[in-house]
Amino acid sequence: MKQQLTNIWKDWRLHAIVLGIVLVTEMVGTHSFTVGPGVILLLPMLYAILIGLGLFFTPLVKDKQSKNAEPLIVLGVTLLIAKIGVIIGPALPEIIAAGPALLLQEFGNLATILVALPVAVTLGLKRESIGMTHSVAREPNVGLIMDKYGFSSPEGRGVMAIYIFGTVFGAVFMGLISGFLATWTPLDPLSFAMASGIGSGSMMAAASGSLVAAFPAMEQQILAFAGASNLLSLSTGLYMSIFIGLPLTEKLYDVMTRRKKTEAKREVKEGA
Amino acid sequence: MIKNIQEWLLLLGIYGGVVLIGNWIGYDVMPVGAVPGMLILIGICLIGLILGKVMPGDIPSVAYVAIIGVLFSMPWIPGSDLVVSFTNEVNLLAITTPILAYAGIAIGRSWTDFVKLGWRSIVVAMCVMVGTFLGSALIAEVILRMQGII
Repeated sequence: MKQQLTNIWKDWRLHAIVLGIVLVTEMVGTHSFTVGPGVILLLPMLYAILIGLGLFFTPLVKDKQSKNAEPLIVLGVTLLIAKIGVIIGPALPEIIAAGPALLLQEFGNLATILVALPVAVTLGLKRESIGMTHSVAREPNVGLIMDKYGFSSPEGRGVMAIYIFGTVFGAVFMGLISGFLATWTPLDPLSFAMASGIGSGSMMAAASGSLVAAFPAMEQQILAFAGASNLLSLSTGLYMSIFIGLPLTEKLYDVMTRRKKTEAKREVKEGA
Repeated sequence: MIKNIQEWLLLLGIYGGVVLIGNWIGYDVMPVGAVPGMLILIGICLIGLILGKVMPGDIPSVAYVAIIGVLFSMPWIPGSDLVVSFTNEVNLLAITTPILAYAGIAIGRSWTDFVKLGWRSIVVAMCVMVGTFLGSALIAEVILRMQGII
């Protein structure tokens, strides 16, 4: 942990607010409703992040509380990782058996380039789209882009845009789509469990939490696979971006924009 | 160092208390029954945080925390069944609720940046997340089926 924790425990106002949020959200509990063929799950943690965000705009939360809350996320994720560790331990034989799938699904993170880059280019985004779509844009990837292109480059602006979206709405969004996709598509919940580990503790928790709520009988397996996959993403994600993700995004971007340019030229000629 | 340990212990204690209350209301586990499990988890965190500080190299403490958690609960380790049954009383989702409550309060400060994002960025961001999630799930499905696990 890089941040200096100094006397944050004394910020009773902050802890009391969080206790209040936990009391309210856990009392409300999990609710679900069906949308077409899938199920959307609303979990206490999703209300918690939205209530927390809402309270930020009330006089209850001052700037000091908001600043103090930041290192506490890191510490909370440490506790979460300890819990995931003791879920993975007893499931270790199973995880080793599923090792090939766990390792290879990491390459699925590259699918984001194939899905999102064409969308970005079609929407008219320029080199921003390289920063936006080369990965899921968590901290290591932001560092990589800043290091390579600089903070005020278009690529840097792109990666920051996705980082900000992920920070604010990542957990909520992943929680909503994971339960929906797992109930709507024919894919196995365990495949989605592995996919939940995208290298962010809170997104992993939200995505796998929705899966557990939808398939409670498979709880231990889902959490063990999601946790193992998340640890794997955390340790391999940066190298995946450096050696495959970013070069592939650059290449595809060149191909797509060149084709766009020649098409535009042809249109101009035909028009004339 | 002593000051660090003291601060970690106090903050993890606060977290632990809040989690146990959420665990009670949301998942019907009496706090008394979940205390040993919580103490084990806090202990794992503390060892990992201390190792992260004193060990050479730039390895983050969460890596140590994960490894220690796995080590203590592996089936080949004597006493691991106790670690597993005690920590089973602490629900994962009860831990995530306070984390995301703190996160909500903290991200309020990013809200002005968020509002400045155009609609195009938001569309692309959603595609990025759906892309990685579905891509990984598809590959996992194919391999797990080939192996006959599902």
